[in-house]
Amino acid sequence: MIEAAEPENSREWSDPEVHEGRLGPIFEDFAFFFSRVLVLFCPQSAVDLRSFACEAGAAGNSCIKDLSLGCVLFVVPVLTKLEVESKVREKNFRCCGAMTYFPDEVVEHIFDFLSSHRDRNNVSTVCKAWYLVEQLSRLRVFVGNCYAVRPERVMARFPGMKCLTVKGKPHFADFNLVPHDWGGDALPWIETAARCCPGLEELRLKRMVVSDESLELLARAFPNFKSLVLISCEGFSTDGLAEIATHCRGLRELDLQENEVEDHGRQWLSCFPDSCTSLVSLNFACLKGEVNTSALERLVARCQNLRCLKLNRAISIESLIKILARAPNLVELGTGSFTADHRTEAYQNLLNAFYKCNSIRNLSGFWDAAPRYLQAIYSICSSLTVLNLSYAPAIQVNDLIKMIRHCFKLQKLWVLDSIGDKGLAAVACACKELQELRVFPSDVYGTGIAAVTEEGLVAISSGCPKLNSLLYFCHQMTNAALITVAKNCPHFTRFRLCILDPVKPDPISNEPLDEGFGAIVKSCKDLKRLSLSGLLTDKVFLYIGMYASRLEMLSIAFAGESDKGMVYVLNGCKNLKKLEIRDSPFGDAALLENVGKYETMRSLWMSSCDVTQGGCKALAAKMPRLNVEVINEREESDEMVENPSDMHRVEKMYVYRTLTGPRDDAPDFVWTF
Amino acid sequence: MELELGLSLPSSDMMMEKRIKTNFCKKRSFDEVLDEKTVTLPLFLQREEDGHGNSDSELNYGGGRVIVGWPPVKLPRRRTNCVKVNMEGIAIGRKVDLSLHDSYQALFRTLYMMFPKKHEDLTYAHVRRTEEEDGGCDYKVTYEDEDGDWMLVGDVPWEAFIMSAKRLRIIN
Repeated sequence: MIEAAEPENSREWSDPEVHEGRLGPIFEDFAFFFSRVLVLFCPQSAVDLRSFACEAGAAGNSCIKDLSLGCVLFVVPVLTKLEVESKVREKNFRCCGAMTYFPDEVVEHIFDFLSSHRDRNNVSTVCKAWYLVEQLSRLRVFVGNCYAVRPERVMARFPGMKCLTVKGKPHFADFNLVPHDWGGDALPWIETAARCCPGLEELRLKRMVVSDESLELLARAFPNFKSLVLISCEGFSTDGLAEIATHCRGLRELDLQENEVEDHGRQWLSCFPDSCTSLVSLNFACLKGEVNTSALERLVARCQNLRCLKLNRAISIESLIKILARAPNLVELGTGSFTADHRTEAYQNLLNAFYKCNSIRNLSGFWDAAPRYLQAIYSICSSLTVLNLSYAPAIQVNDLIKMIRHCFKLQKLWVLDSIGDKGLAAVACACKELQELRVFPSDVYGTGIAAVTEEGLVAISSGCPKLNSLLYFCHQMTNAALITVAKNCPHFTRFRLCILDPVKPDPISNEPLDEGFGAIVKSCKDLKRLSLSGLLTDKVFLYIGMYASRLEMLSIAFAGESDKGMVYVLNGCKNLKKLEIRDSPFGDAALLENVGKYETMRSLWMSSCDVTQGGCKALAAKMPRLNVEVINEREESDEMVENPSDMHRVEKMYVYRTLTGPRDDAPDFVWTF
Repeated sequence: MELELGLSLPSSDMMMEKRIKTNFCKKRSFDEVLDEKTVTLPLFLQREEDGHGNSDSELNYGGGRVIVGWPPVKLPRRRTNCVKVNMEGIAIGRKVDLSLHDSYQALFRTLYMMFPKKHEDLTYAHVRRTEEEDGGCDYKVTYEDEDGDWMLVGDVPWEAFIMSAKRLRIIN
């Protein structure tokens, strides 16, 4: 047995790093003891280990994760080496010594089992040796804010990078709050990767500007490129897609989610060469233009491994039938428009086509679905785990209910609010496995016939105890309902409620919704994401600061009464990463109350609040490692804009931590203080 | 005709009203009208008056709600509201999506870009100055409403306009 190093000051250390990860069967019966923590994993039953861990002082201070093969990894704070060794011997676990005595390859192998980028970030800070091992072995790199770090620096640190994820614009860009040419250009990342990491295989971009030029470079510079995922991006056209189709040999995945793509009419889909047989996933649902359907059918036929296919609205039922005939092994399907000319034989063919597709678990599309065609999918409803009907306003409630009754394995459901409380009650009865529900508004500019209310949500919460993720647009909500939901569903990790009238109180009591949201944050200890709406005072933020300790993202709109609200959140939520606020009365005092907090967060967005230019300048002066960006869209050319005073309120402010200093691609209307 | 947009809520709860006023009236040059229950806002002219005026989050509690970026749904989910636009004397028309605009100002901006006047350098500032000088501009924009009548654009509240406009026509 190798002598282990005595932990330094272990009794004084009160907040141990907690690491969790997956394990393989290789390292059985080993215990690693290094500096302050004991990492134990062995193929014993979880019960034995749990009791051992508790005895060793693990309760409350470590995380025990049950993994497959009966291996468990957990970390406990250790008092002395001797105590640990005696415990370990007692239970017949073998114990080895300090991890620093193990060669790099062994350490690297252990790191292979850490897949989450946060775990890898954590282990890289333990000591220099681990930093070096980790950086050379990291394959998947995640950059949450493209302006926080330069691409060169990322790629110099992780030369073995195979998969890169980069996010650009702030979240509120989704709702037109960020001007069009704000930034987030993907080209520097692709150019640098082309130079430094030509082995790149996967690229995932979210809210970035991707030009056709970037796509062309991407298509040509990476011989092993396999997967491109673009989410909420813009700036490219079907020409860029044609480049990808033409030049990426061995492409496995092309996933376009909710992008704005210009249709240049070029037959990009026909550009996939006959030799392309590798596609596993193809999603072009967001494209508006037509594609060459016979090219699509041939492509589907030769890609035998295709498991995910999401068609756009231009694809009719006739084409869908032909495609399904060639791809009976699909697991995920986006159906296209789901409408046909008035020919009755289409229905029978459709029924037969779906009958053969018994692998489908995920369905979406249905843009123009007519009720009679909907019946064709009843045969597969009972195996569905994901159903997205949120782009299908044509489906009526009663047809929806008829379909939902068959979907007893459903885990994720996205619908329009035309489902009504009645429809939600049907979901609550049928879908006992439901984990995620999203109810979108169908009548965005309408006068608001009350489609879903608090009743629907309460029904879901009592019928679907596994519910952990919610996005709910409704016309009204009550405190009583939220309190009931909190009691029924304590496992929420994402809770986003949007009452369409932004400052509406509880319609029964006329009170603000502070107590309701307070109940949610108190009950749902794992809550990571929260969006508020309705009439709210500072009190709700007091509750959030007090109880939402795992909260990472908070969205606030038209809420609060004073600076105190924002301060409660900044001082309370220790895991907060993203805070976005609009139209709320928080000003400079709140902004400057806890400036150090912003370096622990990814970003802060404030628009139409009471923050002034002077406040932004003060923040920038105190915190040089933040970029304090102010967006000025005023178009007057008067002195007010050229020399605005510090008392001048800023419309939009975006603050984020960065290693790079002010960005060099900021447009005229973005000022960095 | 001046448009009056009431910032008082339909409910008679004074507490809430006060809160809303505190939140949203306490802005910019509207400070001086805090004493009044309702605020009269000229909708699309003289916006330069309130130097720090924020037209971005204009609230209208009259009956329709037009708040930029609210409700928070992504673009593909918003119902598009495209209407054809023709200009007198030009054979080829254009299409404009009214749902992407939050005011007459924004619409005119788009129209001027689509149908620029010849021989003029059309910066937005220039366009707006022209607008307030003439009380209109060289060309007038009309629309066909649900009844089939041709009306001058700008008379009704924006949200009423976008729901009733079927087609636009620009007259020299």
